[in-house]
Amino acid sequence: MPAPDPNFNPDPAPADTGVTRRSFLRTSAVLTTGLAALAASLKPLLEMNDFPTAERFLQKYYKEMTPDDMAKVIRRIENEVERQYGIRPHVRDLKPMDGVEFVYCLNLTRCIGCRKCVHACVAENNPSRNPEIQYIRVLRLPHGSLDIEKAEHNYAPESVPEKGYFYMPVQCQQCKNPPCVKVCPVHATWQETDGITVIDYDWCIGCRYCEAACPYWARRFNFTKPSIPKERLNPEMSYLGNRPRRQGVMEKCHFCIQRTRAGRYPACLEVCPAGARKFGNILDPNSEVSYILKNKRVFIQLKEELGTSPRFFYYFDV
Amino acid sequence: MTRAIRNYFVFLRRCARIAFVGDWRYYAWMGALTVICLLGLNAYARQFAQGLIVTGMSDEVSWGVYIANFTFLVGVAAAAVMMVIPVYIYNNEELHDLVIFGELLAVAAILMCLAFVTVDLGRPDRFWHLIPGIGQFNFPASMLSWDVIVLNGYLVLNVYICGYLLYCRYQKKKAAKWFYIPFVFIAIVWAISIHTVTAFLYVGLGGRPFWNSAIVGPRFLASAFTAGPALIILAMQVVRRVTASAPPAEASRAREGAAAPRQPSSRPATLADLELLACHLREMESVSGEVREGILSGATVLKAGAGDVLLRQGETEDRAFFVLEGRVVVKREEHGRFRITRSVGPGEQFGEISALAGSPRAATAVAEEPSLVLRLSADSLRRLMKNPRVNKIVRARMSERLMITDRALMTLRSIVQVSMLINVFLLLNEVFKEFYSGNLHVASSRYLYIGLHGHHALVPWIWTAIAFNLVAMVLLVLPVSRSLRWLNVTCVLCIVGIWIEKGMGLVVPGFIPTPLGEMVEYRPSLNETLVCFGIWAFGLLCYTVFLRMSVPILQGRLCKANEGQNGRGTGVTALGAAAEP
Repeated sequence: MPAPDPNFNPDPAPADTGVTRRSFLRTSAVLTTGLAALAASLKPLLEMNDFPTAERFLQKYYKEMTPDDMAKVIRRIENEVERQYGIRPHVRDLKPMDGVEFVYCLNLTRCIGCRKCVHACVAENNPSRNPEIQYIRVLRLPHGSLDIEKAEHNYAPESVPEKGYFYMPVQCQQCKNPPCVKVCPVHATWQETDGITVIDYDWCIGCRYCEAACPYWARRFNFTKPSIPKERLNPEMSYLGNRPRRQGVMEKCHFCIQRTRAGRYPACLEVCPAGARKFGNILDPNSEVSYILKNKRVFIQLKEELGTSPRFFYYFDV
Repeated sequence: MTRAIRNYFVFLRRCARIAFVGDWRYYAWMGALTVICLLGLNAYARQFAQGLIVTGMSDEVSWGVYIANFTFLVGVAAAAVMMVIPVYIYNNEELHDLVIFGELLAVAAILMCLAFVTVDLGRPDRFWHLIPGIGQFNFPASMLSWDVIVLNGYLVLNVYICGYLLYCRYQKKKAAKWFYIPFVFIAIVWAISIHTVTAFLYVGLGGRPFWNSAIVGPRFLASAFTAGPALIILAMQVVRRVTASAPPAEASRAREGAAAPRQPSSRPATLADLELLACHLREMESVSGEVREGILSGATVLKAGAGDVLLRQGETEDRAFFVLEGRVVVKREEHGRFRITRSVGPGEQFGEISALAGSPRAATAVAEEPSLVLRLSADSLRRLMKNPRVNKIVRARMSERLMITDRALMTLRSIVQVSMLINVFLLLNEVFKEFYSGNLHVASSRYLYIGLHGHHALVPWIWTAIAFNLVAMVLLVLPVSRSLRWLNVTCVLCIVGIWIEKGMGLVVPGFIPTPLGEMVEYRPSLNETLVCFGIWAFGLLCYTVFLRMSVPILQGRLCKANEGQNGRGTGVTALGAAAEP
């Protein structure tokens, strides 16, 4: 019966060679090949010019930083941005104001679907231009339906508005009960007292669970290293807002935190040619948004049935 | 204490060394896996440097094959429990070994799961943010934080149980029940929890109607208990065929024995020999002196040196053997290769089946070390077995050995059978609910099963999966799957069908269309696929190493008793070790 050759030897060296030497040679040959193969397979790492420094690797969580820590980190960020873009930015860590809860109202009767808000947002918030990240998506819907599954995203007519359609811009709804905050395994995203859900870009691990959880498709992920042309960089920045992001982290609309917490309107509102966008403090009974929510007869919270309770209201002039 | 620690390190070192020793097939297999692993690592390095843009994922479909594989493998890991339950319900001692193989599979599967989650992270360098106490752990709100706990906990539990049982086996000590049974029961509950938690990861998302369905959890369990045991059925047969075969050196020794028969010296047995047997076989104590006297007529004691052949495959003679001292290895020659079927120690018997049946010897028995063996005639054995206690133990050992593997596979088959029926039933429930009510949220299902707005990338996949599942279900119900060949076909159908249904068929359509109604399809990129292959190769590599270590321990060939014998008699003497001084 054929049995395997018991004297099978994969290394046909002469018999008089010392066994020790042979095994030593073989072991070292195997080790060298192995290490060379390992090194070769790790070669793509050499192309990386953005290895996290020890400082960045060990950076503390936003809520655990003392003012001193924050000052240091902000200085470091300013230096990094200056080195990369040649512009000295002005980074602030603006805190929410007492007695303020922001609310957005959007008049669907007025919106003409021009997408100026989309581009103003990009210009303001320093997202990557290649690939381009946009926080606002304008949907075109046929009159008489709010079925989002009938929405057209890539409408491109000669001119807007078009007959028979209305337009609905969608961005982060700043929910009172945000699913994205609930699912984040590391508390990298949370709701501030003024109602804005923010992200600590230096704490996010990039699992994209929040992106799966968001019912409004409001979150965007940096699939690669963001690229922003130098001349497009907005140097007026805030820590939780529009400072440049890194590869592999999440970002989204934050109601232009760098503007609104300093008493200005969001960029998308300022640019709107139709006056469809209204923004303000719901806790102030004299604010524009308070007036709208009290007096306009029809307003919609998108996907109200999910219980997310957005701070973003759509209404009609009727 | 320090001695115990040192002993343990010797054990670990010997296990580690074994992993590097094998015949050419072992080296070829491990070499191929290593190459695939490195290709995967290379692809991952590219992804690490350039970001997840090198995958097919997008903001629209933000999870892909990584998470699909993760979901499937959590199921495989959970299914190890299906091996454990029969053991403790039927209390079958010999199935213990299979439990260990199952749990080792769970360990390998969990390692793959952790790898798949890690490669899916955008910032793997920030993994420490997930460590409770050091980072910020969003527990209990985030289901992902639950997953971190249950997966790592399950890994620790299984490593502990396997490690403990194997180390006991290595020391030839009986495992202390209190040291592992409670953990086994925790592991059973835990296994269900790992898969339920993984299902809740999806179920908990209100904004994704395709996942937001209570039936996903039960479906996950049903499909896991189909695919997991199916994988174990295949793995066990591979173990039987490949890993258990004796290395060439061992085979040659057995052949040498055959060529130049060395006869063990013999002498008539005495009452003192029976006394010695009773020391190892407690049941003997109840045998009366009268019966003992009767047995002695024609009984001999063989004094065998290492390598002496005690009985030879194919011969017919009616004598049975009990080992009094030392160790005897029983090996079977199949297709020109010797396979060690078991290793027999003091108090245990061999050759009794052919003796009682008068059939040819099914295997060859060779003394592994200098041994003392009691040889009885078939009549004496029958007389001995009139004693009910002896009868029980001898019969129990016979049946275990004869039937064990095939019977275990058939037990697993019935698990796969029931699970597959439930799985298909639950799938039908889901399909009915989606399509009959026909509400707005049916879009994802429509995309998956029939295509939507001209997009139908997943349609051929899901119908393949359904066809595989249905064919497997029919085969499982028919008696034809009692034959191993058909059972294997069925298992492959189950595994592939469920991988598609639960991986790509569950994760991807949840994202299509997006919550804003946009249709963006997903196709894994080449780089992403390479990473997946790399991780699968890594898992197989781990499992092979685990088996390489545990098989000789379970067979009694690697034990504390033969420490320092430099591979001799451990059954691992092969190419690598042979070259050592």
